[in-house]
Amino acid sequence: MVTATMMLWTEKYRPKNLDEVVDQREVVERVKEFVKRRNVPHMLFAGPPGTGKTSVALALAHELYGEYWRRNVLELNASDERGIQTVRERVKDYARTMPIGDVPFKIIILDEADNMTSDAQQALRRTMELYTRTCRFILIANYSSKIIEPIQSRCAVFRFQPLSNEDIAGRIKMIAENEGVNIDESGLKAILYVAEGDLRRAINTLQAAAALGVVNDKSVYRVVGRANPLEIKEMMELALNGEFIKAREKLRDLMVHYGLSGVDIVRQMHREVFSLTLPEHSKVKLIDKIGEINFRMIEGSDEEIQLSALLAYFALYGEELRDTG
Amino acid sequence: MNTSSILWVNKYKPKSFEEIIGNYKAISEFRSWLENKLKGKAVKHAALLWGPPGVGKTLTVEVAASTYNLELIQMNASDFRTRYRVERILGRASETYSLLGRGRIILVDEVDGINMAEDRGGLNAIIKLVDLSIHPVVLTANDPWNPNFRELRERCKLIKYSRVNVRSIVSFLRKICLAEGIAADPSALKFIADRSGGDVRSAINDLQSVAFGKRRLTLEDVNWIAFRDRQLDAFEVLRGIFSSSNCRAAKAALSRSTLDYNMLLQWIHENLPLQYTLIEELIGGYEALSRADIYFGRIRSSQDWSLLSYALDLMSAGVAMARRRKFRFVKYNFPERIRLLSQTRTFRSVKNHVLSAIAKKCHVSKRIAGVEYLPFLKVIFELDPETASGIAKWLDLDSASIIFLTGSYDKAERILLRM
Repeated sequence: MVTATMMLWTEKYRPKNLDEVVDQREVVERVKEFVKRRNVPHMLFAGPPGTGKTSVALALAHELYGEYWRRNVLELNASDERGIQTVRERVKDYARTMPIGDVPFKIIILDEADNMTSDAQQALRRTMELYTRTCRFILIANYSSKIIEPIQSRCAVFRFQPLSNEDIAGRIKMIAENEGVNIDESGLKAILYVAEGDLRRAINTLQAAAALGVVNDKSVYRVVGRANPLEIKEMMELALNGEFIKAREKLRDLMVHYGLSGVDIVRQMHREVFSLTLPEHSKVKLIDKIGEINFRMIEGSDEEIQLSALLAYFALYGEELRDTG
Repeated sequence: MNTSSILWVNKYKPKSFEEIIGNYKAISEFRSWLENKLKGKAVKHAALLWGPPGVGKTLTVEVAASTYNLELIQMNASDFRTRYRVERILGRASETYSLLGRGRIILVDEVDGINMAEDRGGLNAIIKLVDLSIHPVVLTANDPWNPNFRELRERCKLIKYSRVNVRSIVSFLRKICLAEGIAADPSALKFIADRSGGDVRSAINDLQSVAFGKRRLTLEDVNWIAFRDRQLDAFEVLRGIFSSSNCRAAKAALSRSTLDYNMLLQWIHENLPLQYTLIEELIGGYEALSRADIYFGRIRSSQDWSLLSYALDLMSAGVAMARRRKFRFVKYNFPERIRLLSQTRTFRSVKNHVLSAIAKKCHVSKRIAGVEYLPFLKVIFELDPETASGIAKWLDLDSASIIFLTGSYDKAERILLRM
């Protein structure tokens, strides 16, 4: 029998107010101060993924507006909007109406702001100034260095620290208990290992592993294995064995069916190189090539061609290896 | 039924001058030259009918032969290569009458097909034929303006043939369809005529290849002609590039193509590993393509199209210079990736729908939804139908999305039954 609505645990256990936020004590204290004064400046939240940036922004909105929070908050995502032009249009439409309740401004949360080009950021800066009277911006980014100086200087900058294993473990245990999940010590350790300080990934891993029944190291790694397709390693091995055309087929499969971007693939290749059976000095050479191709993908226009060129190098090193012994 | 072996160009070949479409002025010029010649009046020794292919040059001579009751002796420029053949031709040209007592007309087709560098002798033999023949000699050519042909040209009455207009071609095609019992959409015939470029013969061949055995011909039926042309074009470009031994030839091969460069890039990318099987060739070829792609990226970000020539040179000359062995023939493939992308269009739109739903509910971008949520959701949907049905309701997913997430109909059904 289904009682409560089922949802993803990352949302179910998202903090409802600032006190529930995991760690980030300094950030939370400062933000609370703004709430108390019913006034907030433009803000920039910078830090690694899964450390609570969006959660703090949403909790702040809850505390400021109470039940009206949805009507006073506009969430935008720089990587989903089609260019600065649409961002500007949506901000303009949104800023036209007055806020609901006793707070004299509305909030615009712009996620992944560091994905915007510097030209787009310049345009964003002008937009921010234009609507300063009625709107406050919360910009969210992984790297504050990728946000242009004029924007940084107009924002209160908050740096989010990677979460400690103790904090993540505490949260995971709480959720597991609440959901009646059977988790053992090995399962918890495995989750901490794969999460690398990212609470969102930790919770998603927990929920997916729970679908397998018991959460132990085996089920966690099974989930992670599926989440990081083995195909990437297989693709590299095919290329090393000189089966270039088959390797390229795998590549297409990853891009078209798994929907991985070229950058996703090249990063994962980087991680996986160390687990290949290759002499150590060849791994170093390949790392250099992977980096070069990653760079070229940023400059170029066709990721599949760049990755094919990379696979050709794998084929070359594979052959050298066979020649020498 | 063996009617399929009959080419419609032959089946519907005009029998009289009146049936020939287009080039009326050229035909009447030719007829008056021929009539004068037959009467022994002092006119040029030979007629040179020149113009684009498929407009009726050879046909004019064939119809003339039957109209004036002449024996047609037809030969090709390549027949003038060997001395033995030349002597036989000259012999027949200087005999007064044929065995049947008829006069003769001598046709040398495609004189410009003669290879000047190797075949100086062949051209001289043709000139000799024109000088010695007591029968009318007619030559045809697409382009007679090569300086080497000057001597020959001076001996000839030049008659120019032009492309036949689209309307005339359409009406001829309609007649054929009528005779074959095919109901053809005017737009389909217009399409064939348009792309023939005034070449009646190729228009008829195209019509036969798409309409044979059909009762009805629509625009859709003929569209693939264009596709076939593009494919042939790509094959030639690839062969041109991969067989070039110098930069200039490779660049020329690329520039001959009517395909856009992005499509060509895909063709080269697809077939490079088929052509280049040595690892050094593969590396060199892909290095050139990779560099070319960087220029394309720079063009896109700077909109500076003057960079295009570097990209094009790298994908032609750059790829060609990577070859280490003798060129060998390989069968080329259509770019698999383009096929894949069009096949998986629905797949991608369903996926996009799922990502949007996650993005909205979880306050993340679609990109993050794809990397940080989708893989975990897939595990849940595959293994735990109970939880999955709840999440599906929460995300407001339709059945296509659920099938996408489970990867199978059976597993999707287990979830759908609980909703």
